[in-house]
Order: sequence, then structure tokens, then C-alpha cells
Amino acid sequence: MSNEHYLIVSYFLVGLVSLCLGIVVYRVLRTPFAAIAEAATGRLRSRVLTRALGFCMTLAAALGFLSVSYNQRGCVSYEQVIKNRYFLVQNSKEQLQVTGEWIASAVFLWCIVVLICLVALRTTQANRHDKT
Amino acid sequence: MSPHSIAFLVTLVASILIVVLINRLLRPGLRGLLEQVVALPAATEFYLRAFAIVVVLIALAAALDTYSELKEGARFMEYIWAIADRLKHVVEELLVVLLVYVGLITVLMAALRRRQ
Repeated sequence: MSNEHYLIVSYFLVGLVSLCLGIVVYRVLRTPFAAIAEAATGRLRSRVLTRALGFCMTLAAALGFLSVSYNQRGCVSYEQVIKNRYFLVQNSKEQLQVTGEWIASAVFLWCIVVLICLVALRTTQANRHDKT
Repeated sequence: MSPHSIAFLVTLVASILIVVLINRLLRPGLRGLLEQVVALPAATEFYLRAFAIVVVLIALAAALDTYSELKEGARFMEYIWAIADRLKHVVEELLVVLLVYVGLITVLMAALRRRQ
């Protein structure tokens, strides 16, 4: 396989893997998150929040993949990029690495959203308890 | 198989083992703590899943990130040094993630206990 073929195949394959990673993380977190959001905000808003979780994970994965440039480290022309197979492999690894980091950051962000939902839920329950 | 690939594969396997060990050691205690604090099974499940996802992703990202100088015909101890160098990076990243998670759980406990 020539370096150019390798570049084309690896670019689209890594892009697909990155997107799948975002979707898998969303599917793993969706069920417990929907239950929390429904308990805290009601059915309609929970649907919006769950969709936002999905968009956020997919966008984080896409952003991680797209944020790695092939023209970095002094490679300004296409010929320079495809000259070195090792450079192409390193770039694919970097794309997966940055995708993982972005998704992890997004998961932490949604942990804070869940924290806010739980605090809101607890406050509502306390207010109801005070009234009775 | 090139020396880089061997070092990378060994680092990857070691990283997976570290992640499994961390998860097995911390999960039961974390589950008990979360069940006591949040009192909502879905929230406990969410935080446990988030913990597992973050630890796995960061360990794999750190394993992918590393680079070491290994030439053809490298000796046994040179492989060990290269792998140790890569693992240091993985452990550093995992430590940062664990500290952030501990901070998050502390905030969660403080916020929810105040409202109990």
C-alpha cells in the first residue's frame, strides 16, 4: 500500500472510529442521564438535555479528530505529508488521542450538569418537605 | 514487528491492566459512597459509568501519545526503559483524572449534604 493510499484509508477510518467513540460514550451514559434529567426537570426538558448530551459527545469526538492538522511540524505541501509513513501513523494516533481527551473533558462537563440537576432536585424536595 | 510497535503494544496492554485494576479497586467503595450521598440509583450509575469511560479514554490517549527512541536491535533493558517512560506518562494522566474526579465527588458531597 502506497503512502497516499494509507493516508486516504487511515484518515477516513480514524474519522469513523472517532465518531463511533463519541456515539458509544453517549449510548453508555444516555439511560442513567435521562432518568436523572427526568427526575430533576420533567419529561420534556429531559428529552432536550438527553439530545444535548448526544450532540455534545459527537461534537467533542469530531472536534478532537479535526483539531489535528497534517500541515503541522513543518509539512507545508502534500508531497511532504505523504513522504513519511511514520509521520502518517503518528498523526492517526494523535487524532485518536485528542479525540479521547476531548470526550473525557465533555464527560466531566456533563458530570457537572448532573451535579446541578441533583442539587436542583434536592432543593425542590426540601421545599416540598418544608411546606408539608 | 518494529521495536516501536512492540513497545507500544506492551504499553497498551499494561495500561489496560492498570485501568482494570483501578476500576476493580475503586468501584465498590465509590458505589457505596455515591448511593449514600445522591440517593438516586440513576445518578450513581451515571457517575460510575462516567468514571469508567474517563479512565479508559485517558489511559488509551496517554498510551497513544507517547514516543520513544528505539532502534533496530535494541537490547532488552532498552525496551524496558522505553516502556517505563511511556507508562510514566499514562500514570501521570491517570493521576490527574483521579484528582479531578475526587474534586468533583467532594463538591457533590458538599453540595448535597448541605441540602439534606
